[in-house]
Amino acid sequence: MVVHSASASGGVADYGPVSYPRTALVLMRLAWARTGSPLLILGVLAVLCLPVLFSLIFASRGALSGDPIDFLLARYDTIVAGLATPLIALLLGTSAFSAETDDGTLLYLVTTTTPRWWIVTARLLFAALLTGVLTSLSVFAAGFVAVGLSNPEGIVSAYTVAVFYGGVTYASLFTMLALLTRRSLVVGLVYVLFWEGALSETFQAIQYLSVRKWMTAIAEPMIAGGGDASGPSAAYALVAAAVVVAVTVFVGGRRLHEPRMGRIGS
Amino acid sequence: MTAATSAMVPLAFDHVSHWYGDVVAVNDVSAVVEPGITGLLGPNGAGKTTLLQLAAGLMGPSGGTVRVFGETPVRNPEIFRQVALVPEREALPGMLSARAFVEARATLLGLRNPRAAATAALEMVEMDTVADRAVSGFSKGMRQRTKLAAALVQQPRLVLLDEPFNGLDPRQRLHMMQLLEARAAEGTAVLLSSHILEEIEGVASRILVMLAGRLAASGDHRTLRRMMTDRPHTVRIRASNVRALASQLVVEPAVSGVDMDGADALHVRTTDYTAFSRLLVRAAKRGDVTLFDVQPTDESLEHVFAYLVQR
Repeated sequence: MVVHSASASGGVADYGPVSYPRTALVLMRLAWARTGSPLLILGVLAVLCLPVLFSLIFASRGALSGDPIDFLLARYDTIVAGLATPLIALLLGTSAFSAETDDGTLLYLVTTTTPRWWIVTARLLFAALLTGVLTSLSVFAAGFVAVGLSNPEGIVSAYTVAVFYGGVTYASLFTMLALLTRRSLVVGLVYVLFWEGALSETFQAIQYLSVRKWMTAIAEPMIAGGGDASGPSAAYALVAAAVVVAVTVFVGGRRLHEPRMGRIGS
Repeated sequence: MTAATSAMVPLAFDHVSHWYGDVVAVNDVSAVVEPGITGLLGPNGAGKTTLLQLAAGLMGPSGGTVRVFGETPVRNPEIFRQVALVPEREALPGMLSARAFVEARATLLGLRNPRAAATAALEMVEMDTVADRAVSGFSKGMRQRTKLAAALVQQPRLVLLDEPFNGLDPRQRLHMMQLLEARAAEGTAVLLSSHILEEIEGVASRILVMLAGRLAASGDHRTLRRMMTDRPHTVRIRASNVRALASQLVVEPAVSGVDMDGADALHVRTTDYTAFSRLLVRAAKRGDVTLFDVQPTDESLEHVFAYLVQR
């Protein structure tokens, strides 16, 4: 049997500076390897269908006999911003880190020289971009059901921008959640249903702490004729999202320095 | 130890303790790991894995200091240019091929040519012929070797392995031993944990024995083997006439005590197990006693380690 020595087969390890684009691609590929389970894909598809399904139901019951723009705005606020975007971000934001924490493969990320903040950032980008792209499909599909291929008052394009904004913000929140708790999916679901779904509608003050309302604040200035002046402004929403992203990168990076993996043994 | 000499030492624990809540996992351990192969021996729950995690800087010690080539490993990702950790758990990203996985590691480690480094590492562990298959279809032994390739891809100067021989067949085990010996011969420090003495005594030049978080003993395998063999033993014997046998045994110098266990068995304590095994047959013959069963009662690894701790 031949035993190759390291120097004979590979030479002395040759290190270069950290390549942020290359490491980001690797981190996203590893995330996709953990995210691409059939069950998760089915879950995302099911959530994606929600806005379209609701639009079809309301359309078939004659709800569109009123103002289709009001109808579309209501669907976007409740189904897209309040349900589809956070649920998809939850599934994509938590899946990779949670699975890696559970089975111990997180070790292969945290025993490298890649800066921890960059590991978190790359994972956040992965979840945010996928959420944004997938949710924008819902925006277009629901828009098509309600108003056809037109873009009245710029609503569809405004909400396309808003779901990308929401994708980044929600993905940040859920990426951080995945690093802080082993029950991130349950905690995230409770947050989406109660905080974003129920409480943000009931209590005015919570609008300033609701990503759903921040998404609406981003969309409204882009819609012709403006919108509801009450609640957070677009500037506030942008600053709030920047704070959420910064906190996620900082807290997540610190957590990855001393990851809570339990035993690395069996 | 000066800073210069400290930087030469691959791994040093200085009065290191670590606890999880109320549970003490590592208790005041001081040891130095030099270039060559060092075994970390102990039963499950002894604190071996925690010690390896501390060495890799995955958590800071609750007390004491850990130094890797003179540096504190915790919150110091740069040490992974020199340090690799191979976990016990088998899980790998199942959708990836072995090559993609090892190459991913090489990229995250900042190697200039990840592909060449991955190819060399996979050849080293004899996985090059199956390197393009998805790891989800791999056997336990193939996963172990893929993990090892992922660890050796940056040619570390300190390799930490948690139960590396688990799941390997004898040929693969021999190959891994040869591989580790080749690395050690080039000056790499290898610290490998196991709960089986036979697994590491043939490959490790020095062994650290851990029990209940404490460093119970250390030395080369001959010293430890002697400690374990020469300890007091208790043997349960079933025989046709235990009273007659007891009267024969109690006068023997190698026997330190005899207790009756019902009508057909007795417990004998001996300080010299080898001598006892010879004299038992003679004593039975003298007393015209038939031996039905001779069973050591304290042969488990925990008993052996407990003895080493009490010494």
